[in-house]
Amino acid sequence: MSGQIEQTAPSPPGIVHDLGAKGIDLFLGARELYGVFVRTLYYVARGRREKGAVLQQMFEIGNRSLFFVSISMGFIGMIILYQAGIEIKRVIPDYSLLGATYLELLVRDLAASLGGLMLATRVGAGIAAEIGSMVVTEQVDALRMCAADPVDFLVVPRFLASLVMTTVLIVWAGAVAFATGAVTASVAFDVPVRIFCNMSLIDRGDVVTGLTKCVAYGAAIPVVSGFCGLSTFGGSEGVGWAATRAVVNSSLAIIILNAIISTASLLVFGAT
Amino acid sequence: MSASVSQPSLGQGRGLAGPAAAAGALFLGIAETVGAMAVLFASIVRTMAAVPPTLDTHELRRNLHKMAVKSLPIVVVTALFTGVIAVIQAAPVVKRYGAEGLLGWGAGFATLREVAPLLTALMVSGRVGANNTAELGTMVVTEQIDALRALAIDPVAFLVLPRFIAIVVTLVTMTVYADAVALAGAAFAGLGLLQIEPRSFYNGLTGGLLGFGDVANGLVKSLVFGFVIALSSCHFGMSTTGGAPGVGRSVNATVVASASGVFILDYFVSFLLG
Repeated sequence: MSGQIEQTAPSPPGIVHDLGAKGIDLFLGARELYGVFVRTLYYVARGRREKGAVLQQMFEIGNRSLFFVSISMGFIGMIILYQAGIEIKRVIPDYSLLGATYLELLVRDLAASLGGLMLATRVGAGIAAEIGSMVVTEQVDALRMCAADPVDFLVVPRFLASLVMTTVLIVWAGAVAFATGAVTASVAFDVPVRIFCNMSLIDRGDVVTGLTKCVAYGAAIPVVSGFCGLSTFGGSEGVGWAATRAVVNSSLAIIILNAIISTASLLVFGAT
Repeated sequence: MSASVSQPSLGQGRGLAGPAAAAGALFLGIAETVGAMAVLFASIVRTMAAVPPTLDTHELRRNLHKMAVKSLPIVVVTALFTGVIAVIQAAPVVKRYGAEGLLGWGAGFATLREVAPLLTALMVSGRVGANNTAELGTMVVTEQIDALRALAIDPVAFLVLPRFIAIVVTLVTMTVYADAVALAGAAFAGLGLLQIEPRSFYNGLTGGLLGFGDVANGLVKSLVFGFVIALSSCHFGMSTTGGAPGVGRSVNATVVASASGVFILDYFVSFLLG
């Protein structure tokens, strides 16, 4: 990539050159990422599946992340409730809707987005490190020699596994965060658990938005990380770079998708 | 997971089949990781307090540039979107209670105390912490660290200490940026989505309900997060084994350990600071 740019601008590189190089890099990266995504979808529809590969990835992505996700989301639930309780105490000392509002926020956004960020960290780095190691040890080249598309063989099982397990883990993460939140509310602010468990504010829009986010993140994490893994070059340093880029890019993808989906749901369902 | 550092033999050969052994091995692994980080921290402190200062300022400056300056774009983008998302999520509550004037205060409270330090820590742990692990891990597997030891150069003084300081400084300064950018994003989202004038957002922000204490709260948190990220990143980097796949595993372990450490400590720091 940088080779082309140097040809067109041989003399002193200025700020325009830098910006242009960044822009071209970004554009090329986005096009390749789009290519991986389209090929993933194509092979999901058309490809033959290796037996057990999806199940193994589901174990790898789902069961192996359970402990990490439960711990992180449990603490997040306690933090959010504690901070919200302090905040409410300063303005209106009325805790009756605390649980209902918390549950609504959790269903609509927090469970999916925070859980998604956790999974992007855990799963994204794992996928990129695994595929990246295969690239630098030339196993991916061997796949290509056998006329097997690495996207079909490596990315598709992870994609399918992640679609299912991200949704499952996010629902579980939401439950854990709600439970620890309820405990915090009853210990720190004397809100009875029965009053805290109030589902009156959840409507169809919240559930649809939350589930859309689960599916979108579940699709984005393996595609972005698989792309980062497949574009690894160099030896062990390259693998480290690939894992780093996978974490950063999948987190960024989640934050941007969150902004898009949240805006869309605000426009579709309105601010009820 | 962090259990990857523990010897796999711990879970077997004790006659304790099944989940009990697995759980024990998991906790032994965690304890081992935490203990190794504490030892690393002690040696960092000892190096820092050495009488002729051994800090390599050139290495420190190089790392600061590589970590802080180069992460600025990603932190700014994250913070901008975070501010927008915070307002979108607050919109129903604001509409329900007609609390347009309080949006600035609400967004400010959440951003300064919780959201900006937390998300900046996650992004910095992904970008800087993981990258640092990869760099140190590569040095380990290519035996550059052994070469340093052979030359009687202490790797902690030469490599770890500058990186530790650079990561902590990076995280605190990036949090300041993220605070400002996220609030700007929230103000514009309030104007665009809820038709709340930036002026009234600003009034809500500075109306007296928020003080320097809230900003300081967030910055203390980011200091603690910086310690966690720097320690786990240096620890897993220096304890890498086994070629290119080993570097990948170390990076994975680093990001997982940093993220869990950040969330667990966030709770305790929030609780202690009140």
